[in-house]
Amino acid sequence: MGRAGPWLIAIIAVLAIFIDIPKHQFSFPFNCPGVCLKIGDLQINQEIKTHLGLDLQGGTQLILRMQLEKLPPGVTTPQSDLQTQAIRVIERRVNGLGVSEPVIQGLGDDKILMQLPGIDDLQQANDLATRQAFLEIRVPDKDHPGQYKSLEPPLTGANLKPTFVTFENGTKPVVNFEFGAPDDQRWIKLSQDFFQQPVQITLDGKEISAPTVNAIFTSGKGIIEGNFTTKSASELSLLLNSGALPVPLEVIQSSRVEPTLGQESVQRSLVAGAIGLLLVAFFMVAYYRLPGALAVIALLFYTALTYAIFRIIPVTLTLAGVAGFILSIGMAVDANVLTFERLKEELRSGKSLRAAVEAGRVRAFPSIAYSNAATILTAGILFWFGTGTVKGFALTLAIGVAVSFFTAVIVTQMLLHGAIEIPSLRQRRLYGVEERPQDIREARASAPAAT
Amino acid sequence: MLHVVERKWWYFLASGLLIVPGVIFLLIGGLKPGIEFRGGTLLDVTFAGNTPTVAEVTAVMTSLGRPEAVVQAAEGGRIEIRTFEMKPDEIANTSKSLQDKFGAGTKVDSSVVSPSFSGELIQNAVKSIALASVLIVFLIAIAFRNFGWAAFRYGIAAIIALLHDAAVVLGVFAALGFFFNIEIDSLFVTAVLTIIGFSVHDTIVVFDRIRENLRLNPGEALNPVINFSIMQTLARSVITSLTVVFTLLALFLFGGFSMRNFALALLVGIISGTYSSIFNASQIVSLWQEVEDRVRHRATASAAS
Repeated sequence: MGRAGPWLIAIIAVLAIFIDIPKHQFSFPFNCPGVCLKIGDLQINQEIKTHLGLDLQGGTQLILRMQLEKLPPGVTTPQSDLQTQAIRVIERRVNGLGVSEPVIQGLGDDKILMQLPGIDDLQQANDLATRQAFLEIRVPDKDHPGQYKSLEPPLTGANLKPTFVTFENGTKPVVNFEFGAPDDQRWIKLSQDFFQQPVQITLDGKEISAPTVNAIFTSGKGIIEGNFTTKSASELSLLLNSGALPVPLEVIQSSRVEPTLGQESVQRSLVAGAIGLLLVAFFMVAYYRLPGALAVIALLFYTALTYAIFRIIPVTLTLAGVAGFILSIGMAVDANVLTFERLKEELRSGKSLRAAVEAGRVRAFPSIAYSNAATILTAGILFWFGTGTVKGFALTLAIGVAVSFFTAVIVTQMLLHGAIEIPSLRQRRLYGVEERPQDIREARASAPAAT
Repeated sequence: MLHVVERKWWYFLASGLLIVPGVIFLLIGGLKPGIEFRGGTLLDVTFAGNTPTVAEVTAVMTSLGRPEAVVQAAEGGRIEIRTFEMKPDEIANTSKSLQDKFGAGTKVDSSVVSPSFSGELIQNAVKSIALASVLIVFLIAIAFRNFGWAAFRYGIAAIIALLHDAAVVLGVFAALGFFFNIEIDSLFVTAVLTIIGFSVHDTIVVFDRIRENLRLNPGEALNPVINFSIMQTLARSVITSLTVVFTLLALFLFGGFSMRNFALALLVGIISGTYSSIFNASQIVSLWQEVEDRVRHRATASAAS
């Protein structure tokens, strides 16, 4: 690496530390959360922050399976379309709740992952995701008195306009709906056909109310009465507005973490990481002396850089992800250990410091490359097959190993090359090797006469 | 200088003493699958005040119609409750009952996996282990491509060493499962795969040194070269493991509770991996050579007679 090397690394270090600053507020010329810049056509609007997984900030996660076997026969929509439609419906419902940073995405070809940070009501999340919200108006069945049947074709909520909640008599919540064209004409015709008879309003096949038609309608409007509280009425209204799920969903995995417990985990992980880092740093300096101290500088650089990368990609940090990060701190020094052991050997075999540093680098490299390859390979497999926690671990471990390859090899070498140019740092015992007689002679010769 | 090659049978014996009981625990079903792998509900309850006794919590669960609930005390004054699959309304109901009984500060984390999904998780775990094994064999083949005909025996030795480490971790967790009901989850599988990667790389470093020294000292007998190579790489093997052990210990002692078993599995595996790379892997190569020499000797002897 030429002269530009140290400067480049210094710039990366400064950038990394800047990104690691907990909160950024840098707005020019307009305001936004995070870092904003506007120079001519160039616009940067980036909120830099640590993204915490559900287990660290609390919230609810559901994995939903599409119950394709429950679809009525004759549905020919491709599975991938059903999945996309279902995700959109759930997204609309979640947006109505005002959750910040929800995750709703496909998982495999028949599942949907839904994560709601900050929502700790599992029941609510479950209803939101699994209620089909399939509204249907059914009419009295002449052949079976007291029962209802579907119209031909069924009159459903497919063309419903946005619904809203009002209060009847000022207290009783009801949901107002209005059929859009062409269903509004069918609704009017229904009021003519079944005047003075009850019709049934059902949601997901269950009766909500069965009001009697006591007027001929002139528009597609109607109301749903039921045993609603204000909350349940607005939830129903939200469900209807978001549309019906194209396929029934069932919850196959759910987890819920208390926000306070998540915060506790963050604190514990921070403490564990700091202690781990300190132990490794202490050991490296005690055992390898000067090179060890340089490795610790590289390790701090590694920590700052990796964390910065987590923040800008961004990588969502879960508890397992943090574990991967902490583990990678221990692994990051492996490349240094390999190099320094070689360095010691080369020094003992009689090489000069400069030659030994170079030989150490060259001869340790294959081992370092294999070691990193083995770990990245494992992490790759884990990421590919893993779900949730495992993926988080694999991702942070892989990023950690890749970054450590850079810091432990390039940064430490650069520091080491710099250090051996400083005369006072050239004593062999600083490298954990006993002095040679000629070194002591040289040192005496170069020292000012003491007599 | 230690003579780690000559004493190989002692080291094999030490490994055997650790692995055989582990295998016995495995065979009697010590390895307990967690809810991820068999479906069901795990409630992780934290209390604001004093932790109630297991019996008190069991009584609440029985009154809720969950007599099958397995209630266990856990680190940090927590209580873990395991039941069959619960629906969300039942979880909400259970949380409320626990809060009514043990105070409003009672916090319940829940995790439910339906049996249909756990089958898929098991499949994924098996697939990842299978794929990792295949890729590791490839990695070994690449790493030893310059070993010529000997590559095969080095590869086999590396694989035996990694099986050794996997067996130790599985055995230890089977024993922990047997005595303390510690369960394994997908993080455990992750730990095993990480250990395998670590073990192979540890072994490769030693083998790489053996190859280098064989080239530098042609005509030298295999055993002294192996011994010398192990001594040369000893510091590196021990120190690398030590730094990793330091971080894992920090994670185990101070990290989040749910990471404890994970950190423990990694700790056991990494220590075992270091042991096997120093005391088992090269010794297998040495043994192979000795057996081959003996067979050849016998063949020449019988040909001569």
